[in-house]
Amino acid sequence: MSINRYKITKTISSIFVHTFLMAVAMTCLFPFIWMFRSALMTNQTIFVDKGLIPSTIHFQNFYLAWTKGGFGMYFINSVVYTVCVVFGIVLISSLAAYAFSRLKFPGSNFLFYMFLAAMMIPLPGSFVPLYVLMNKLHLVNTRIGYILCMINVGLSLSIYIMKTFFDKMPSALEDAARIDGCSKLGIWLHVALPLARPAIAVVVIFNTLNVWNEYILAMLLLNDKSLMPLQRGLMVFQGTHSVDYPLLMAGLTITVAPVVLVYLFMQKHIIKGLTAGAVG
Amino acid sequence: MGCSQGNQANVVNIWHWMTDRQEVFVELAEQYKEQTGIEVNFELYAPSDEYSKKIVAAAQARVLPDIYGILGEKKKRAAFINSGFVADLTESFNASEGAWEKSLFEKALNVNRFKEDNIYNVKPGIYGVPIDVTNIQMLYNKDLLTKAGIKGYPKTFAQFIKNISTLNRIGIEGLVSGWGETWMVDCFASNYAFNIMGEEKIMATYRGEVPYTDEDWIKVFNIFKVLRKNNALAKGIVAKGNKYAEQDFALGRAAFAFNGSWCVNVYNDMNQDLNYGVMLPPVINEERPMSIWGGAGSSFVVNGISENKQQAIDFLKWLTAKDQQAFLSKKTKNLPANRYALSAIPEILSQFASAMDETTHPSIWKYNENPLVSETFDKGIQSIIIGEKTPEEVAQAVQEVKVREIEKVKKRSMRQ
Repeated sequence: MSINRYKITKTISSIFVHTFLMAVAMTCLFPFIWMFRSALMTNQTIFVDKGLIPSTIHFQNFYLAWTKGGFGMYFINSVVYTVCVVFGIVLISSLAAYAFSRLKFPGSNFLFYMFLAAMMIPLPGSFVPLYVLMNKLHLVNTRIGYILCMINVGLSLSIYIMKTFFDKMPSALEDAARIDGCSKLGIWLHVALPLARPAIAVVVIFNTLNVWNEYILAMLLLNDKSLMPLQRGLMVFQGTHSVDYPLLMAGLTITVAPVVLVYLFMQKHIIKGLTAGAVG
Repeated sequence: MGCSQGNQANVVNIWHWMTDRQEVFVELAEQYKEQTGIEVNFELYAPSDEYSKKIVAAAQARVLPDIYGILGEKKKRAAFINSGFVADLTESFNASEGAWEKSLFEKALNVNRFKEDNIYNVKPGIYGVPIDVTNIQMLYNKDLLTKAGIKGYPKTFAQFIKNISTLNRIGIEGLVSGWGETWMVDCFASNYAFNIMGEEKIMATYRGEVPYTDEDWIKVFNIFKVLRKNNALAKGIVAKGNKYAEQDFALGRAAFAFNGSWCVNVYNDMNQDLNYGVMLPPVINEERPMSIWGGAGSSFVVNGISENKQQAIDFLKWLTAKDQQAFLSKKTKNLPANRYALSAIPEILSQFASAMDETTHPSIWKYNENPLVSETFDKGIQSIIIGEKTPEEVAQAVQEVKVREIEKVKKRSMRQ
């Protein structure tokens, strides 16, 4: 009798929990579904066809978006920027975070808090000084200028995530490596980094999303169309007064796809990283 | 880097934000290169807010391109001019007995003109070149009017109200507009204020010499009561953004719309079969013409410290010539800034552009209303539309804010 009651309570609570979770999942998925169905319509039908599945499907919108938006060139640029920036951030933030966590030197706390304080400055607030600085360094309208700025943008949060992870990491393994004659840099490379894989995964996904979706800084620093990232292609479909919704949605679908793939590929590490206390 | 972005000889660099015009600009630049050997690079930066930030940052770093546009208030343009980043084009406009100036709509040039004793301390002159113009009028759906048995379009407000009741009888909504955006309500009310009392009395009101409780202002507020009483407005109009209002008109959900000339582009994208015409808002006072808002749509300025200044001016002269303007207008469905190009553009655009001489705009008025008063005015009208307040109550509320603001200014000037 009591087992039955337990089973009933468990089933009911499970139904409620799953219904709630499904509702939350639907609110997350619905924009994607809406984006994809809109990408298959025409400008004329998008405002009248209210169905989830369009009455006539226009797959050619994806081809048109790719060619009209010049996505080929922008796609390569975005891949280059994302790979370089994320690599740079992982390298610098893991070194800095390890130093903040393990090396005791005067002003380490002050420096660390300075990095944290940098997170509070909104990007638009630093536009003018950043542009003037990059211009003085002759880095405006160069790939390296944009990559350096983006690395700078992502460093603070990444250092914070990595330091939190290193702080919780037991030092016994490092001691053993030290006894075996490993240098500080060797311990970072052979012991700390492999153990920090979940935290690195979080840093990678956060920054991949950030760099892949970035456009404002690119627009500020880059002048040549040939240097612009993928987001520039989407602007073509957004007129001053009117918007080509189907092509914009097709373009967005193309833009979002790689990020979704990266997330799916790394989700195991990300969840592990989050649950292992990499954040907060 | 020198004083401007890219100082190569025979190359003119242009920064702009007009996403829908980039392809046509590039095409025109190719034509110009063929004719003159001068290369023109159009670099597009959008959205417009971010473009504005880039312009400010580039000005600080003194790397502005040869030609660019300044978005926003006249105050901002004045700051760029006073810093030397904008060339005075008056001499070029006056050359050859003012041929260039005469070819462009005066109202469009006025937006780029600073008069004697302007409050911004800018040396009087013309500092920008309009490349297209815009105005805000009413549109009517020819098919819906025909369906209701209405011939032509209403020219007076009384006819308009009569047409509305005919349309309502067969279940067609009357007027739709983006009156969720207060500037559009303000624009509509301003048109009627000009028609009812004329510019001088409006300016006197702004100076604080005529109260909003004056009978002419009550008449202006009363228009919205009449529209409401006669069920002339589309449902939810005070909560509607203009994008949604545009959808409603394009899809034949309302017979009339109040919208800007940019709508030709928008309606064409949404419904190519839409059969519509352009009309001035129907007059209340037949003795006085209807004034509508309009002026320069987009303007370019020449970098005051550019080494390619003359080449930049020459290109803008070419771009605003009749043939190029007609080409630009046909391709982008915007109104040309050159008055001689009207004969060579589609009829609907020509209808819009032919009212350019009836236009006015707050940016060229001698006085502007205090923002708080304007806000109370616009919100008051919205509350009349939803039946929350009467015209008299709104007039009283606006006047109270006006008096309070005048007092504040007086106290401030006494302290100084």
